Amino acid sequence: MRDFSLKSTITYKLYRQLIILFDDFLSTIGDTVIYGKDVLKFIFKRDFNMPALLEQCSRFGVSSLPITLSIVGMTAIIVSMQVAGEMVKQGAGNYVGMLVAILIIREAGIIMSGFAIISMIGSSIASEIATMRVTEQIDAIQVLKVNPIRYLFVPRVLSGTLMMPPVLVIASLVGIIGGGVAAHLASGLSYRAYFESVWSGIYMKDMNVALLKAIVFGFTIALISCVCGYNANGGARGVGIATTKAVVWSFVAIVLWDLVFSIIFFF
Amino acid sequence: MSIEVKNLTKKFNKKTVIKDISFKVNSGEILAIVGFSGSGKSTVLKLICGLIEKDSGIIKTSGDIAMVFQYSALIDSLNVEDNIAFALKERKDLRKKYTNEEIKQIVKEKLNLVGLSGIENKFPSELSGGMQKRVSFARAIVTSPNIILYDEPTAGLDPVSSTLIEDYIVRLKEETNAASIVVTHQMSTIMRTADKIIMLYNGDVVFTGTPQDLMKQDTPYTKQFVTASLDGPMKMLQG
Ligand SMILES: Nc1ncnc2c1ncn2[C@@H]1O[C@H](COP(=O)(O)OP(=O)(O)OP(=O)(O)O)[C@@H](O)[C@H]1O
Ligand SMILES: [Mg+2]
Repeated sequence: MRDFSLKSTITYKLYRQLIILFDDFLSTIGDTVIYGKDVLKFIFKRDFNMPALLEQCSRFGVSSLPITLSIVGMTAIIVSMQVAGEMVKQGAGNYVGMLVAILIIREAGIIMSGFAIISMIGSSIASEIATMRVTEQIDAIQVLKVNPIRYLFVPRVLSGTLMMPPVLVIASLVGIIGGGVAAHLASGLSYRAYFESVWSGIYMKDMNVALLKAIVFGFTIALISCVCGYNANGGARGVGIATTKAVVWSFVAIVLWDLVFSIIFFF
Repeated sequence: MSIEVKNLTKKFNKKTVIKDISFKVNSGEILAIVGFSGSGKSTVLKLICGLIEKDSGIIKTSGDIAMVFQYSALIDSLNVEDNIAFALKERKDLRKKYTNEEIKQIVKEKLNLVGLSGIENKFPSELSGGMQKRVSFARAIVTSPNIILYDEPTAGLDPVSSTLIEDYIVRLKEETNAASIVVTHQMSTIMRTADKIIMLYNGDVVFTGTPQDLMKQDTPYTKQFVTASLDGPMKMLQG
């Protein structure tokens, strides 16, 4: 016999799934706020381990750079290739550089860098800390009376906050240059015309907002990844779940932040 | 420097894992907790050192607690030296107390004690299980704690390394007057180290006594445990 009860309907199951997801998101955000306060306390007291911070900085900045540059660079190149021909035909070739610059600085640079950092750094932070959790390494740290927030979270979150702006600047520069090369190759736009118009697309306000976003995003990604790893439980499967959560909730969080920034600064 | 546990109860998802147990360990005393797999031994240790919250009861401890974990729990991103020196380098009250030279010296000393020397720069993944266990032993005692909890310190060790660790557990007790709890399955460890024993089954204390009492096998529980028999009041499979 088929089951026609409410609980068997797809709509019901979908809603249930959504509620579970929403609940998980909220509890992650709640924990993120709680641990975030502790992390900030240590940072403001300048109470952290310098060598550990430098190690995390090089992981965050240097090792993520190839991927971040490729993703942001490719975005600029693709956009530039697609619009340059059309714009040159319509006599608007002088605006290609401006368009790419605005796009990269206002939105594409930071959001694409954010995605790249989440998939490379966020996931590795989460799986590393989750593994430490399920193999009782974090328990051992606690029994040895070392604060796990100071030892694990602070260097990672601080390095995220410090390194995201330079990563963004380098990625954006590469993106804008790449866009120029693409426009030149695709539609014969001269470098001079491109780079002259780039200047008219660069606004001080946009750059400040972008850097502020970079700081906030870097902090958020590293912190959510730490929290998801820290809350892991139950063996290898738990590590997998924690990593997925870290990636998904970091994505959602930075998109929400982006919305908040747009409302505050461009509405 | 003692441990007092009264009417301790702990549930995991409605299943009662520790049922109203009480015991006391004075300083200079070693209590062995024995019992089959899943009887709640590790849980008792984790409750005592505060890693998990009790549901009810009283746990009184005085002094600095150290624990040797069942699966070593070495920090795998740190080498042996940094693992052993972890508390000395990272703990707030110890962080600036020792120079690097002193720390190196302490680590070397502790490594010698557990019969391993010259492996300071190896990482945990490069060690055998027994070596990891001994390193974790060295890490636990580096701060000279007065309460030491050992979760199967000799499991997986060869007989000679076992004896080494057993002797050291006793020596440490004599030297520092620490209160210790040793969770173990191993007869040799029980006989060599324990002043008294409690046996857990399904979260209940089913036997309390000295190693000699245990060997008398005059209760169904001690008889079954010592003879490692399948027949008896304790069933291996419980849901
Ligand atoms: N975090 C947890 N969540 C749910 N149940 C748990 C948890 N930790 C332990 N248990 C349950 O508690 C019981 C006792 O576990 P514990 O690890 O204390 O046993 P043990 O006596 O140390 O066993 P072993 O000799 O195999 O190490 C087991 O039934 C286990 O399933
Ligand atoms: Mg155990």
